Parts: sequence; structure tokens; C-alpha cells
Amino acid sequence: MVREFNILITGVGGQGVILMSELLGKSAVKDGLRVRGSEILGMAVRGGSVTSIIRIGDEVYGPLIPMGKCDALVGMEPSEALRNITYLSKSSLVIVNIAVTLPFTVSLGKSKYPTLEEILGKLSQASGRVVKLDATQLAQQAGSLLTTNIVMLGALFGSEQLPINIETIKETIQAHFPAKAALVNIKAFDLGYQACQQALK
Amino acid sequence: MKELTVTSDAPGERLFVLGNEAIARGAIEAGVQVAAAYPGTPSSEILETLASVAKELDIYVEWSTNEKVAFEVALAASICGVRAMASMKHVGVNVAHDSLMTASYIGAKGGLVLLSADDPWAWSSQNEQDNRYIALQGYIPILEPSSVQEAKDMMADAFRLSEEFGHLFMVRSVTRIGHARSDIVLGEISKERRKGYFKKDPSWLVYTPAGARKNKPLMIKRFERIKKAVNTLPYNQLRLADKAKLGIIACGLSYSYALEAIKWLGIEDKVSILKIGTPHPLPEELVKRLLNSVGEILVVEELEPFVELHVKAIAGGANIPVKIHGKDLLSVIGELSTRKVTEAIAKLTDSKLPVDFAALDKLAQEVAPLLPWRPPALCPGCPHRASFYAIKVAARRVARDYGKEVEPIYPGDIGCYTLGVNPPLEAVDTCICMGGSFGIANGLAHVIDAPVIAHLGDSTFFHAGIPPLIDAVYNKANITMVILDNSATAMTGFQPHPGTGYTATGDETAQLKIEDIARACGVKFVEVIDPFDLKKATEAIEKAIRFDGPAVIVSRRLCTIIEQREKRERKEKIIPYHIDQNKCNIKCDACVKLLGCPAIIKRDGKTMIDSSLCPGCGICAQICHYKAIIQE
Repeated sequence: MVREFNILITGVGGQGVILMSELLGKSAVKDGLRVRGSEILGMAVRGGSVTSIIRIGDEVYGPLIPMGKCDALVGMEPSEALRNITYLSKSSLVIVNIAVTLPFTVSLGKSKYPTLEEILGKLSQASGRVVKLDATQLAQQAGSLLTTNIVMLGALFGSEQLPINIETIKETIQAHFPAKAALVNIKAFDLGYQACQQALK
Repeated sequence: MKELTVTSDAPGERLFVLGNEAIARGAIEAGVQVAAAYPGTPSSEILETLASVAKELDIYVEWSTNEKVAFEVALAASICGVRAMASMKHVGVNVAHDSLMTASYIGAKGGLVLLSADDPWAWSSQNEQDNRYIALQGYIPILEPSSVQEAKDMMADAFRLSEEFGHLFMVRSVTRIGHARSDIVLGEISKERRKGYFKKDPSWLVYTPAGARKNKPLMIKRFERIKKAVNTLPYNQLRLADKAKLGIIACGLSYSYALEAIKWLGIEDKVSILKIGTPHPLPEELVKRLLNSVGEILVVEELEPFVELHVKAIAGGANIPVKIHGKDLLSVIGELSTRKVTEAIAKLTDSKLPVDFAALDKLAQEVAPLLPWRPPALCPGCPHRASFYAIKVAARRVARDYGKEVEPIYPGDIGCYTLGVNPPLEAVDTCICMGGSFGIANGLAHVIDAPVIAHLGDSTFFHAGIPPLIDAVYNKANITMVILDNSATAMTGFQPHPGTGYTATGDETAQLKIEDIARACGVKFVEVIDPFDLKKATEAIEKAIRFDGPAVIVSRRLCTIIEQREKRERKEKIIPYHIDQNKCNIKCDACVKLLGCPAIIKRDGKTMIDSSLCPGCGICAQICHYKAIIQE
């Protein structure tokens, strides 16, 4: 029985955050787990900040993760991971893609982007384990930039913390994409998985 | 094994769905035969789901021109004995309000359900209104789910209840229900299909003063029956704990936060809890039992103190000496959370907080200055960006003739184009409600001496833009009305509308032309422009602004998201632009500072175009003085 496992996925509209939570949720249900989740659609998709929540377990009722109760934070973009730092505790796992997506306000000179060191420093203060990887580069290696989200999903499973079977998530990924794309996505998943395993060693 | 879907007749099986899909599934299980809606976040996926299965299940599904029409379509079906629903966002109910207030006098023959999708914290709305008050005003009973599962169950049950009591029901969802995801256990699907029958009965259906006076008492009687019945509905549950001092009354989704809070605080055995699934009318008997068993009450509900005021009235009426808390500890602003509810309960029970929230708040304050501002933006290639650019150039040219101090005014509206408020476009001066841009422009024209150029989208035009357009002609308002026609209801997910030529279920239909409507309404200056031809577009808009009398510009260009999708389907290549660094004057920055296109970025002292984002609209190339932007 799983009592409560909270996953928060953050990123920028267009990065495939919502698909990640769909794949996670479907897989959890296949494994007989109870799932709750929530996301903000609409205004968020036009290049704005996006968060999606997946909560697994029998003792989960609400759609939102309480502050300080996130088990795994998946940051598709570094500053978006930082934006959600208050959900972390010392026992949280953070997996962050170090590839930056600059908001247009930075080019306009209306806001500033922090350094990667500042971001990772803050995240490391808040949580015990921070895994950083260049998921965008790994996605390219897998054959398509569009698979960045699946690389990150693979990394999440590479932490070996999830209550979902790895076979189940792979089946769900395979079923979601047409045959050719499925192959690229599974490769992306494996690359992410290995990168996380190596980082945790 | 065939994968389960929302139409699977597989009672007992579990399906992972979006809340709005669960709501649609509930209606499917009830055998809904007519569903109508106007798109609006967070409600749109309900009708989209029903539209996608309409033919398979023999359901009539339509995107209506607005929420009032949608509700009337459903009401008519109900009058004819057919199960029907209308779904809309909270502010959509305002548009349907006129029909709604008399519909409750009529009641229902076929089950009639109004789905109101409220939006606490106004995630994608212009306000946070609490539609329980609209239901209160109309004697409309509310079912309010605490989870996605319950949203499905209540929706299915609402049709049955509506028929049992001959009255219309509201199911009140919120963003965290409709846009939540969860596994749900499926129920049985009703296969019953009824034939509509209209029985003439003016004493029931014609609302003259006599009709109102005859039917109001009947409505009150129906409502009194419902008031008794809610005490035994499974959606209201009372759990009394021995020796509890505190009683919690939690409404709808707030119940899930309350459950998590008392668990987190480890005081499950020390508080009594009343789950409210029908905030209107409240289960009075259950409320009284709780009030009589404890010394203190905390009402947990989002937005207004709706349940709180009624609970206070019940306590006062029955002389029960109990202290009732609610909005003194939980804000009327925004969504609730497990944290907020935990803090309120901890205060009343002297419990220790499970997490040092103050430390987390401090952390949030420390981090805030580091975070870049990432507002949503018009997409790269969005035709609205080009339209706004042309509107502002044209308006400034005209404003110069008015004198130095004059600033043109740009009343705006509800849609993707509201994002034009952000820098650098800053082309939206007001945004209030659907169609409000033209209405406000009418008023401005009579009190302000400056060019007034209002804009709204194509779907918004059909929804609420035509009456204020006629008003401008009738009352001689010298304004320019620009319809940003991207041939879709883009913000809410590209739903079709009367200008697109096809229906919710994909059937071909008449395609209404906005320019024809404007001319038929008596507008003497009507021009259709392509915003991607900046020079011509700007000239046409300038002429429109200079025209003496109301003028209409239809700025027509397909939404870039749809265009890119269609290009991919046609296997047509998308060719992005790039910047020739040898020609680019790095001090100029016009493309960056005037357009605010997310694909144009500044990095390492250079201006570049992110080719993965650029769909090749070429607007930046048109405004570049150095001809440095070229297509690859």
C-alpha cells in the first residue's frame, strides 16, 4: 500500500508538462494505485509558467500538494523549479533540467534571470538530493527535442523512488505514441534513467 | 484488452480522467440527450468530451453562440421531457442569468442540469464570483463535489434528482475539480432515449405577471421538498467524534483540504466533521445535530461566507449557543489549501503545526527577487501581435492631429488578445467582460476627445459584440471596432463558432461573415485586412479611425497554432526566419522592443531568433530597418 507520494512537475508552456502527468497518472492507475492531481490550463499554456501535480496513495484527498510535502520535484526549466521551492523538505528529491528557457521579459530588459549556481544553491539548501541533468541535450541525443519531457520522466524513474513499476510507465509511453515516435521516446526515457542513476551514484 | 474510455459501459472499472471528463461521463451515465455550452475555462472540456462521443451515443451537442442561448437550448429540451444540460464558466452564468431566474419558476420535466465552473483565484477569469449566490437568488439547489469521483457521481445523480423534484439543479465545479485528474470508478450507462414532446400549457410556460404569480408558489413548494430531502442525500455526511469540542463544516472541495488537515495535525478523533455536498439548501437537521454537539464551529469553504451565513442563521433561529468561525480565519480571497485549513484548525485546537510554515514563507521571500517574470505571451507567429502593432501605429498617426497630449484609447476584451496588455504591445486599456470592449468604446466616445479603437475576437463578436456594434451605429458613436478574426475560439482550445463553417460535432454548416453582419447593421466603413501585410493593414486602420462615424475593421488571419497544425498535416515545411548578424544594428532593438515575440531573444549581446519557436510569420522582417531578418 502506498500512503502518500507527491510529485510536482514544473516548466514552461509547451514543454509537455501536462503529458508527463497524464502518463504518470495512467500508469499509476494501471498499477492499482489511487491518483489525485491538478493543473492549471488556459492562461498558462502561452509560454507562461506551468505546474502539474500528481499525488499517489490511499491517504491523499486534495488536488494540491501541501507546502513542504513534495516527494519529487521535476523541473523542466531551472527557474521554474526554483519558483516552487516552498513545496520541498529535506527529504525531497529534486530533478532539474539545466537548459534555460529565457522569458521574453528578460530580452525586453523588464526582468533578470538568475545564474544556474544561484538556482542550484537554493534548491540544494532546501532539499537533500538535487539531480541536475541536461535533458534537452539528452533529448537531442535520443533523436528529438520534443522528447525532453520523457527524458525527465526517465530520470524520475532512475531515482528508484517511485511507487509505479518501470514496465508500466514504459508500456504507457509506448501506447501513447505512434510506433516510430515511441521508439525515440523509449530511448529518451532510458537516457534520462541512466543519467539520474549515474548522478545518484 | 480494449482500453477504457469515457464511453465504456464497464461499471466498476477504474478510469484515469480529467475532472471535466468525469463530469461529462456523469452526464453520459444519466443518458443526457442534449448538451449545450459556450467555451470558457475551466469548463470547456466538458462539452468537448460530449461532442467527441455525440454521434456514437446519439446525443445532441452544440457550441452555442453564448451561454444564454446554451441554457435556453437545454431548458427547451427539458420542457419537452428530454434530459439536458448546459455547462459554462462562472461568468458565463451571468449571461444566462436572465433565462435562469425564470427557468426556476418553470422547473424541469426532463432532468435539467446547469454546470457552473467557478474559478477561485481567477486563474483564467476576470473575477472570482461565487455562483452559489446566483443559485440562492433563483431557488436553485446546488450539488458541490469534493472530488473528481463525486463530480461524476453528482452529475449523474443531478438528472435523476431534477426529475424527482421537477426542478432544475446546479452542479458547482471549481478549477481544482474540472482541471484535477483522478481515477474514477465507472457506473452504468443509461441507454434510454426519449422523444421530445411539447405540450402547450401557457399557464406554466408564458411568464406574464399572472404566470409569475401562479408559478412562484409552486417553485417554493418544490424547493421546500428538496430542503427536507437533502438531509438524507449521501453527499452530506456527519461524523461525530466523542467529546469533540470543535466541529468542522466543510463544503465541496474544501472537505478534501479539511480531511488532510486534521490528519496532518493528528486530531482525527478529536473533531467532528460535517461534509456538505449541498450548500443550497443546507441539510438543516445535520447542521443542528453538529451545532448541538460542540462548543465551536469552523466553516471551511472557498470564496464567500455562503455556508457560514446560513449556519449562523440556523444557530440563531434555533437558539444554539455555539461560536461559529469561518471567514475570520479563512480568507474570502483565492483558493484554500491544506496549509490554510491546517493553520485555522491548529489555532482553534491549540495544535502544533506539522511544518514550520513561517520558515517556508521566509524562504519564498528570499527567492522571490531571483525569479524572472514569466507571464503568458502571445505565441510566436500570432496574428494578434501584428494587428496590435498596426493598430498602434495607425492610432498614433491620427492622434497627432488631435494635439500633442492626446493618447488613443484601446478598449479590449476576453480572449488570447488580452495578453496584448503586457509590454511591449500595451494595447489593451480595459478588459471587463465578453463584448465589453465595444460597449465601453461607445461610452468613451461621448465623453473623451481622443481616437477610440476597440478590439475583440471573432468568437467574442458573435457572443456579445453585435448589440454594442448596433448601439454605435444607432447612437452615432465615432469609434473604430476591430475584430481580430483568427477563425477559432483560440484561448479555450480552438473550438468552432458561427464564423468557422462547422459545428461542435464537425458537421459543415453556414459560415457567417463578420463583415456582412457589420454592413447589415448599418456600419458605413467596413474593411477586411490581413494583419501580416503590415503596411496595407496600417493604412486601412488609419482610414477607419479617420472615418466620421463608427467603422469596422476585420483583421483576418488563421490562429498560428491551427495553421502550423494544418501545415504539418499537409507535410508543408515551416520555414523560420533568422537574423543576419552582419546587417543587424545591435543598438536598434526594434524587433525586440516593439513586438515582444518569444522567439526573438537577446543572448551574449546578440539578437537572435530561436528557430525552434519561429513559425515564419515575417512580421519582424517587415519592421526591420536594416533588412537583417531573412527567411532561411
